[in-house]
Amino acid sequence: MRKVVALAGNPNVGKSVIFNALTGAKQKVGNWPGVTVEKKEGICKYKGIEFHIVDLPGIYGFTASSIDEKIARDFILQKPDVVVDIVDASNIERNLYLTMQLVEMEANIVVALNKMDLAKAKGYKINIRKLSKELGLPVIPMVAVKNEGIDDLKEAMYHVTKHGARTFLRYNDGVEEMISAVQERVIEHNLLPNYPPRFVAIKLLEGDEEILKMANFSEEVVKQWIS
Amino acid sequence: MKLSDLKPNQKGIVTEVVGNSEIKRRLLNMGVVRGVEIRMVRNAPLRDPIEFEVRGYLLSLRRDEAENVIVEVRG
Repeated sequence: MRKVVALAGNPNVGKSVIFNALTGAKQKVGNWPGVTVEKKEGICKYKGIEFHIVDLPGIYGFTASSIDEKIARDFILQKPDVVVDIVDASNIERNLYLTMQLVEMEANIVVALNKMDLAKAKGYKINIRKLSKELGLPVIPMVAVKNEGIDDLKEAMYHVTKHGARTFLRYNDGVEEMISAVQERVIEHNLLPNYPPRFVAIKLLEGDEEILKMANFSEEVVKQWIS
Repeated sequence: MKLSDLKPNQKGIVTEVVGNSEIKRRLLNMGVVRGVEIRMVRNAPLRDPIEFEVRGYLLSLRRDEAENVIVEVRG
């Protein structure tokens, strides 16, 4: 059985180290179609599953304003079986913002909490179980440069391909009201049917230029929907 | 006061982020939003860029980017 796994995360979180640890020598390096951004792919075999690992560019957000962000966003929205969200534990607050955006994209997420040694050196005490419960997602503590946590990560990937790992991010009532108003229109107009309607609604409310263009709507129309 | 006007080691709480939507979103991605505390660390030579500490990490911003962030000085 073949499953697609995307590796996502901020720059400098240890994405390449984890990619190498998962794929070993079975790697292929090319470009993303049409652009000179490197695309690394590899295979990881575990418990009879052939995980096809794709290393996404390191990014801070999915606004599609840079080519790296656009590549990562397009790939995640093609619904890979698993998204491994690599989080730098020593810079956890900023990193979790990307996690929240992946949640909005309704991906199946495993959080790989890397650089646990650096976090500890900084005096951080991270309660993994509580974090996992709060996020509603599996969280795997790792020190990838020392090969710690790689097996646990593989097991989590395996588990997610069997059972999924999705969670829901609820905003305050005022925001939720606007989201559902726009979401109704998204469904009614069958806008971008390949994407989750809630995600499209949130992006339209954010005034995301790429999504507005794809949906062929102006920000003013969206404003009318919520007024 | 603008974030770019903080002196080394001075701290401020962000009260507003102005500018176009792209710069706002970029700052949001880096965790610079209303209510967050930022410490000015130091200037680069020629005073641009500027290094700040925010949410436990070091963030370098160009002076013209930091001008979009309005802060209330603390201490």
